[in-house]
Amino acid sequence: MIKLIAAFLTFYSASVFAVLEVTVLKKAEDAFPIVISPFLVKGDAKQGETIAHIMRDNFNRSGEFNASSADYIVTSQVDFDKWQAQKTEAIVIGKLEKVSKKIFNVEIELLDVYSRKTLYAKKFAVHNSGIRRITHYLSDQIYFALLGEKGSFDTRLAYVTVANKGRGKREYKLEISDSDAQNPQTILRAASPILSPAWSPDQNKIAYVSFKNGRSEVFIQYPFVRRKTQKLPYFDGIASAPAWHPNGESIVLTLSKDGNKDIYSYHLKDKKLTRLTSDVSIDTEASYSADGERIAFTSNRSGQVQVYIKHLKTGKINRATFVGSYNAKAVFSPDGKSLALVHRVDKDYRIALLDIATKDLMVMTQNKLDESPFFSPNGSMIIFATNKDDSGVLSVVSILGHQTFELVSKAGEVREPNWSHYSK
Amino acid sequence: MLKIASLVTATILLSSCSSTVEELYQKVAPRPAVVTSQEDVSATQESIIAADSSSFQSQEFAGNHARSAAQNNAARMAVAQLKNSGAKFVLHFSYDGSEIDEAATQEVIKHANFMRDNPALNLRLEGHADERGTREYNLALGENRALAVKEILGLYDLSSRVNVISFGEENPTAQLHNESAWQQNRRVEFIYQ
Repeated sequence: MIKLIAAFLTFYSASVFAVLEVTVLKKAEDAFPIVISPFLVKGDAKQGETIAHIMRDNFNRSGEFNASSADYIVTSQVDFDKWQAQKTEAIVIGKLEKVSKKIFNVEIELLDVYSRKTLYAKKFAVHNSGIRRITHYLSDQIYFALLGEKGSFDTRLAYVTVANKGRGKREYKLEISDSDAQNPQTILRAASPILSPAWSPDQNKIAYVSFKNGRSEVFIQYPFVRRKTQKLPYFDGIASAPAWHPNGESIVLTLSKDGNKDIYSYHLKDKKLTRLTSDVSIDTEASYSADGERIAFTSNRSGQVQVYIKHLKTGKINRATFVGSYNAKAVFSPDGKSLALVHRVDKDYRIALLDIATKDLMVMTQNKLDESPFFSPNGSMIIFATNKDDSGVLSVVSILGHQTFELVSKAGEVREPNWSHYSK
Repeated sequence: MLKIASLVTATILLSSCSSTVEELYQKVAPRPAVVTSQEDVSATQESIIAADSSSFQSQEFAGNHARSAAQNNAARMAVAQLKNSGAKFVLHFSYDGSEIDEAATQEVIKHANFMRDNPALNLRLEGHADERGTREYNLALGENRALAVKEILGLYDLSSRVNVISFGEENPTAQLHNESAWQQNRRVEFIYQ
């Protein structure tokens, strides 16, 4: 038993070492001022501060809140006049009681400083191992109570890290973490590139591209089931750019088995392959809308690299991007109204947001080499890969246009971000 | 087009004289839309290549487990001889382009003749892109570049001995983020097996 614990600790500390560094960059000018008080703790429980701390970090990362602590533990006798004078608009107070070695009672309350009313309150028991998860869940509840929209906290990220191992050798790792980059786990290690990780809608699978057999192939990995990997059938040429259908039963991918690079859907149970595009040009980087009725994809059929949308019911393909000579790798926003994509401005590649109906394109970043945009599940943020100080980092921009936070790996590059749906 | 292609193949089989082949090829070869100038690349490239030689060693011969060591050695010698004759084992491309220009076509023809002289050897064409633009698009672009080379070799009936692989932007030879590094990285590599 002791051996087991020791092994676990070693593994755990190794993971902690690999945590991406999170830097909050800039909040909205009208960021919502909220105080999250240290929790009142009964019994020996450091977790009280952990909860408040994780919660503050969550709100500050969102870019829409300015979350701070109080210099004392605020209890249910709240001095509303004082907080009003400090221009705090909401306050979170909480209690944590240790009832047994691993079980805690948690009480939390969100108060509106101006109306002096309770906006949200919850009381429950939680196992020690679930505290981090429950804190993300509570953050989502509070976010909803204040903004009337879902948060994206109780979700996960997937990304690829690259470390130089000397003599031209590199180590690629497919990793997953909580939405705050904590709790990272390595799902796959390889000496060859790993591309395009994509969480399945049920969050139990990750599709990705591997070069382990010397060519690009699509695999599906079960990150929570040890060593379970599903390989797609062998296709001649390229197999790449996987993306899930919202029902989780099939994926779209790019295959060049018939010479052209075209988009196909592959049903995972029926093992049925359906061709969705057939054009002599390059068609790739397909992604579904949340209702499954449309795919957006990249094509150079016009002679330029542009984004197209195919309506799957009618079969009709329309060009979506008209501004600029290069638009690629589009993903639908959760409401299906816009696309986040890579847009070339002069010699730079930046993230842009396209309103599909009006065709208005808004450039969201000021960088040189942005790649791989992906929406947070609530649609309020876009995560993407970029270069900073000559190394790959992940960056997050709010759809209102301000950059919110950055994820940097001390061990090397980090790239190819993907954001899961809500946890189940 | 098919008729012309088979006519060319037939003529090639009748004649081993390479100048005839070249003349014929020039008659049927599609004109390139973009001509890349290799001269001005090479001058600025040398320092970058030298600095990077530790992490990238161009490989012209990969060997084949199905052959004996002696056979592999003979094949390696033949490939080295082709290399010494000045034939290029790396072809470069324009931005977002997969067209083969006139000079590059002549290089591919040298390989075509070499493959006909060495029927036991197979060729792997590795297509690459620079880091600009998206990774998945670049993977497709790298394959198009390698396929463009294979298409010419196909005119010599060599398709069945040519294997195409794309690495997109994942294996750059020059690690810098500037125009000359990008130019160096947009390439197809010839590797005999």
